[in-house]
Amino acid sequence: MNMQNIATAIPEKPASSPLRIVIFVSLFVVMLALCVGISGQLYKFVTMVAAAFMAGSDPAKAGAIMKNMAWLIDGMVAVTGLALASFVIRRWIATQAEHRAEFLRTFFLYLCLTVGVIVVLFPFFWMLCTSFKPAGTELLINTANPFDIVPAEPTIGNFKKVLKLDAAPTGASIDPVEAKKNFGTYFMNSLTVASMAAFLVTLFASMGGYVFAKKELPYKKQLFGLLMATMMIPGMMYMVPQFFMVCSMGLFGTKLAMILPHLASVFGIFMLKQFMETIPSSLIEAARIDGASEWQIFRVVIIPLSMPIILTLFLLTFLSHWSNFLWQLIVTDFENPLSVTLPVGLALFRGQYTSDLGLIMSASCFSIVPIVVLFLFAQRYFIEGMTQGAVKE
Amino acid sequence: MSAPQNSRETASSLLFLSPFLILFTVFLIFPILYSLYLSFFDSSQGFGLTNLRWVGLSNYFQILGIHWEGASWKFNDPAFWWSLVVTAIYGGLSIPLGIAAALFLAILLHNKLYGKGFFRSAFFLPNILDMLVVGVIWTLIYAPKYGALAQITSAFLGPEQFFNKVGPLASPYTALPAVVFAMVLKGAGFGMVLFLAALQNIPEAVYEAADIDGASKTQQFWYITLPLLQPIIFFMVITGIIGSLNAFTEIYAMTAGGPQLVIGEETLGSTSVAGYYLYKQFEGGRYGYAAAISYVLLAITLLITWIQQRFFAGERR
Repeated sequence: MNMQNIATAIPEKPASSPLRIVIFVSLFVVMLALCVGISGQLYKFVTMVAAAFMAGSDPAKAGAIMKNMAWLIDGMVAVTGLALASFVIRRWIATQAEHRAEFLRTFFLYLCLTVGVIVVLFPFFWMLCTSFKPAGTELLINTANPFDIVPAEPTIGNFKKVLKLDAAPTGASIDPVEAKKNFGTYFMNSLTVASMAAFLVTLFASMGGYVFAKKELPYKKQLFGLLMATMMIPGMMYMVPQFFMVCSMGLFGTKLAMILPHLASVFGIFMLKQFMETIPSSLIEAARIDGASEWQIFRVVIIPLSMPIILTLFLLTFLSHWSNFLWQLIVTDFENPLSVTLPVGLALFRGQYTSDLGLIMSASCFSIVPIVVLFLFAQRYFIEGMTQGAVKE
Repeated sequence: MSAPQNSRETASSLLFLSPFLILFTVFLIFPILYSLYLSFFDSSQGFGLTNLRWVGLSNYFQILGIHWEGASWKFNDPAFWWSLVVTAIYGGLSIPLGIAAALFLAILLHNKLYGKGFFRSAFFLPNILDMLVVGVIWTLIYAPKYGALAQITSAFLGPEQFFNKVGPLASPYTALPAVVFAMVLKGAGFGMVLFLAALQNIPEAVYEAADIDGASKTQQFWYITLPLLQPIIFFMVITGIIGSLNAFTEIYAMTAGGPQLVIGEETLGSTSVAGYYLYKQFEGGRYGYAAAISYVLLAITLLITWIQQRFFAGERR
């Protein structure tokens, strides 16, 4: 036995109790500060959104509503803080002395993770807050507390302006094309492009994946090898030739141009093949004996059984087209608002209102918020789908 | 299976595969050859697609070649070589930092915790958000005077400091690291989920054995955890390299290739990565030249893949 082994054989001397209490108290203080900070900002944010919608485009009125609600925010922060504090203290007391080091470690871990979440999600919270700030006040900060970023006098004017819903001068004739250049149109364009592409990609990939997983075809293996090899080619490679092809087909500036070159998804074929291989062949045989046609087998046996993976592919394709900026930028006809999608629209918009933070941020919300909501409902599909390819390789 | 049945099976297979196969051939195989063809043309006459002039290999000579000027050899296109350097720096910063951040988060989360799912989702969330929008948000965070970073640092350091007066994106030395920082925060959750899955597959018994042998926690990390995570790290390096070669949107959104930096006699964009440089050529109507550049980038990608297969494939698993 070497020295190290002897050293570990001696039971670890427990840290002195006062030291542990000091650590606990300091962690506790940090926790309270974080809790008050986070819950304060979140409650204030919710109140702010409600006030902004109640008051419309009048920041002063919204500010007054928020002032009246301040006691409620403070009270809720106090309740949250007290609840958390009493929970932690109760747990601390209930923990036996020999487990207290472990307790402190876990406590510290939670604080680290909370700080991590703040750092990672801060940009999006800041985006939401700034989108409610009236023009000209983006520069104003709460000097007493620089971390208080929720505006005190919010407005929904930015959103109205971005959607071109703000009152037009009466009697002035509005160019219908100009009026369509708003983020409502861009949102619908992105939605159409992304869902059309996702539907077609999923359909074609499941038909192809079925062949590669379950059906006979001469040179099937070699063909699959060719598919896999093309996955190595960097996407930038396709920019010039695909642009030329789309233009010579006369599709420039159409939605079809945005999706057509990306409908053959090798990744999708790979993902669905992997999954469909696990479907027992006996099910297909049984259906065949019952006299089902090939299409019926595909529709009644294969599709329902592969639904989770099909849904995953649908969501991932939707996502990739929702944010496929480079290609959409290239094939967009800027004169035609019906071909401008959200990322392209935002890039254009930023060029026009370089330092108008509130407007840019409210425009950004149209891209971010729907995806966040989608993620909340289908996070399992997103996380598993995106990481699955990596693990299986 | 009898012959007619077999051919019926083949026919139905082909029918099922045909939509994909047609699109695949037309939009993924044909463009590779078409791009090679286009790279032999010059379109500097004008923006039109019809103004192509056959120039043979001269695009490639222009990209890769050197010429004698004054007293020394000069690159024909120094901006292209510089863009490769920037790409290498970008990858060299973002890949190790991304892996470190992902690993750090995974190790924090690899504990018995309530609300683990919440933290996992929260860290993963930025991954799925639109790159351009995230880039725009970070540009405004970094912006001097009105950005969030300037405002918060001003409260502590006063107004006369770097973040308030210049901003990280306006200085050629901090612009690329600032982009990397934003992208690492955006992407960390993805690697974290991969690492977390791999960590859960390491049997507890391995650590118990190491404990008995007297290995410290640090030793256990370096000699047990890290080697077992190697396939994931390897995967992240490869995807990171491909990601750096394809990087475009983040640069477009955050710096537009700038700020300018003077090296020798050349003025070069300090964040002009290869993908962005390629786009700039395309935007300027130099389609043939852009096609040639994309072929050079393809060659680089294949070279890296070959090196990886040749020298590192044995170490996997």
